[in-house]
Amino acid sequence: MGGVHAVDDLSLSFEKGKITSIIGPNGSGKSTFVNVLTGIYPMDGGLIVVGGELFRKVSSPELAALGITRTFQEVRLFNQMTVLDNILVILTERGVFPALAAKHTKFHLSQVKEILKKVGLWEKRNEIAANCSYGQRKLLEIARVLAMNSEVLLLDEPFAGLFPEIVKLVVSLLEEFRAAGKTVVLIEHNMELVRKLSDHVFVMDGGKLLAEGKPEEVLRAREVIEAYLGE
Amino acid sequence: MGILNQLVMNAIIAGAAYAILALGFNVIFGITKFLNMAYGAVAVVGAYGVFLFCRLNSLPLWLGIPLAIIAAGIVSYLSDVLVFRKLRRRKATSLVHVVASLGLMFLLQAAIAIFFTSQYQSLADQNSPASVYAVAGTFITSVQIITVITALAVLFGLTLVLKKSAFGRAIRAISDDEEVSKIIGINTDRIISITFFLGGAIAGLAGILVGFDIGIFPTMGLIFLLEAAIASIIGGIGNVYGGVLGAFLLAFAENFGVWKINTVWKPSVGIGLLVLFLIFRPQGILRGVSKK
Amino acid sequence: MPYLIHILILFCIYAILALGLNLVVGYTGLVSIMHAAFFGVGAYATAILTVDYHANFFLSVFVGMVVAGALAYLTGRILRGLSWDYYVLGTVGVNLILFGIFTNWGSLTRGPLGIPGIPRPVLFGIHFATNGQFLFLCFLVLVAVYFLCRFIVRSSFGRVLKAIRGDEKAIAIFGYHTLHYKLAVFSIAAIFAAVAGSLFASYLTFIAPSSFDVMASAFIFSIVILGGAANLNGSLVGALVLTILPEALRFIGFSEDIAAQMRQLVYGLLLVLLMLYRPQGFIGEYKLG
Repeated sequence: MGGVHAVDDLSLSFEKGKITSIIGPNGSGKSTFVNVLTGIYPMDGGLIVVGGELFRKVSSPELAALGITRTFQEVRLFNQMTVLDNILVILTERGVFPALAAKHTKFHLSQVKEILKKVGLWEKRNEIAANCSYGQRKLLEIARVLAMNSEVLLLDEPFAGLFPEIVKLVVSLLEEFRAAGKTVVLIEHNMELVRKLSDHVFVMDGGKLLAEGKPEEVLRAREVIEAYLGE
Repeated sequence: MGILNQLVMNAIIAGAAYAILALGFNVIFGITKFLNMAYGAVAVVGAYGVFLFCRLNSLPLWLGIPLAIIAAGIVSYLSDVLVFRKLRRRKATSLVHVVASLGLMFLLQAAIAIFFTSQYQSLADQNSPASVYAVAGTFITSVQIITVITALAVLFGLTLVLKKSAFGRAIRAISDDEEVSKIIGINTDRIISITFFLGGAIAGLAGILVGFDIGIFPTMGLIFLLEAAIASIIGGIGNVYGGVLGAFLLAFAENFGVWKINTVWKPSVGIGLLVLFLIFRPQGILRGVSKK
Repeated sequence: MPYLIHILILFCIYAILALGLNLVVGYTGLVSIMHAAFFGVGAYATAILTVDYHANFFLSVFVGMVVAGALAYLTGRILRGLSWDYYVLGTVGVNLILFGIFTNWGSLTRGPLGIPGIPRPVLFGIHFATNGQFLFLCFLVLVAVYFLCRFIVRSSFGRVLKAIRGDEKAIAIFGYHTLHYKLAVFSIAAIFAAVAGSLFASYLTFIAPSSFDVMASAFIFSIVILGGAANLNGSLVGALVLTILPEALRFIGFSEDIAAQMRQLVYGLLLVLLMLYRPQGFIGEYKLG
């Protein structure tokens, strides 16, 4: 990528059925890592292994086929579409011709209802996404993840700026994901939540891996505290 | 052998004209970062300015030409003050800027066609024939020689301004980060408007030179825009030196590309070159500014 | 009365053009300034086939549709990597190339002088000779195109288009091959434009390359923006307004040439004013940027 080495010689692995958190001070490369992994930024080198298969790089449409879904730190919704449509578009046919031939079915709508009710957005279903509050928009992103029902979830700061009740809701959703055997990767700043939720923690600093291990050990480790204080 | 030499000479002359166009285009793009579709029309304003002042009103060339250049600069300046600045304030996307510039292009082109008719006109004095020189077995007119010299002069002058003057430093600061520039006290609106004036004046100059060489008609702005944009993009958008390199590359590709076939296919060669670059080397020959 | 029929026929043709382009620009967010090229493909297909080969009008329409669709697909593939501004420039360039072909491939298109003597359509013995009958045909086509567009927009396909417009990378991550969608909608719009071109050629009985240049494309684009992006009824309104406008100008007393230039001046002004004060057009749903 030239210029700054945002992510430098990083090697991480994530276990199925566990919640793994990536933490680190601002600018440590956490989001960049996820962006490179999901094809938003180009990759200079390295490999991705998913479910035993090897990839040099993954293009965005291939992600879904691999069973990977992600959210964005800055919340990228389809702003001029309704809440309902934002979910419906995840559920409907991917192919061009099937999509032309079909409107959504009753089944799709019932799925949307179930998902939106779960995150408490059903009443807002006809609201334009851009007009929703920040908390609602973040919930809508999670709802999209629910709709995708992928095996691997990369969630970039899903708790940022949320009210406590909503945080509880999202925590319970993540625990459900784990119970269902999904691989959850969390980028988070909130140490309480990291401690409470994570099975494993990676600490990044300056694009490199600084430390890893169980939450309690890692969060007490001297290098980690120094890295954070230093920023 | 003679044909080859003439081809090279034609390419150099065309390259010089494109280079001037690209210089003005890049100066504006570097600071605004959207494709200004009205740029070509501004060049035409310059050409018709000379037509108005010198052919219709018999002003001498030494007076009419500078006036026309200033007129082109003013038109460009007004486009910023009246339109683009307001869009910038609203933080409109570059798409909105492009559509607005498209509207401006229509407006300018139509206005020129209404005042001067859409007929092809000749800018050069009908009474004194063009002086033609023979150089290395090729023919070149005095206007064409002036074009090449002007290209070098503008490149030199612009480099001087951008590198040495406070104005140039301000331009580079705004190009890097408009918000920060405002914070450190640069009057970004004023600098940007002046840059529009400068770019427009350069465009006007190019329009005048080409007008003297091949004549004028209202819709030639589209070709100006296309050549300027392609040269800038393949050279590295926003990079003034890149634009010059891109201009000559484009000119050579066009002239040699249509050697055996009708010259009307030149735009196709230009587009083809653009597409090749955008596929294989999107950043251009020299790295340009990063787009917003 | 005959004058009214003339206006309505033009309205139908431009409405068909605007509806198709609205799918591309308004619903998918692709700024394409080359629609007149597809318009021209249809017109020339009909002109060449009916005049030089005495083919049936409707056969020529079909050929025009196929060629336009293929051309759109090819263009879409070539320009696929380009972002925003560059994409616009690319479409302008392709329009220029096609305009060059219309003007210079004399053996095929008879060059800048155009092709005269294009016959009116004949179907099963029905000769759509009078303007009134021709209007009827145009109206049928317009209705068909309108409802096709409505179907597309309301389908899952239409929803994906809006998502692409909203955030292409984001929708791609959910497993959509966005390029296929963009190529599909671009081709569909081109096919509609070709049909409009065939109607245009047959109505005027004469076509020339000047009707299919970049300015013409920009005119069609302004209809879409003016009427309102992402609103099909808006395209109808836009087509109506911009069809009536030059006639109104001529009524005031401007000469033919000046009226055409005045029209362009007004379009330009409208586009600028729209971007400044009302990006959603008359009744659009999508505010540009």
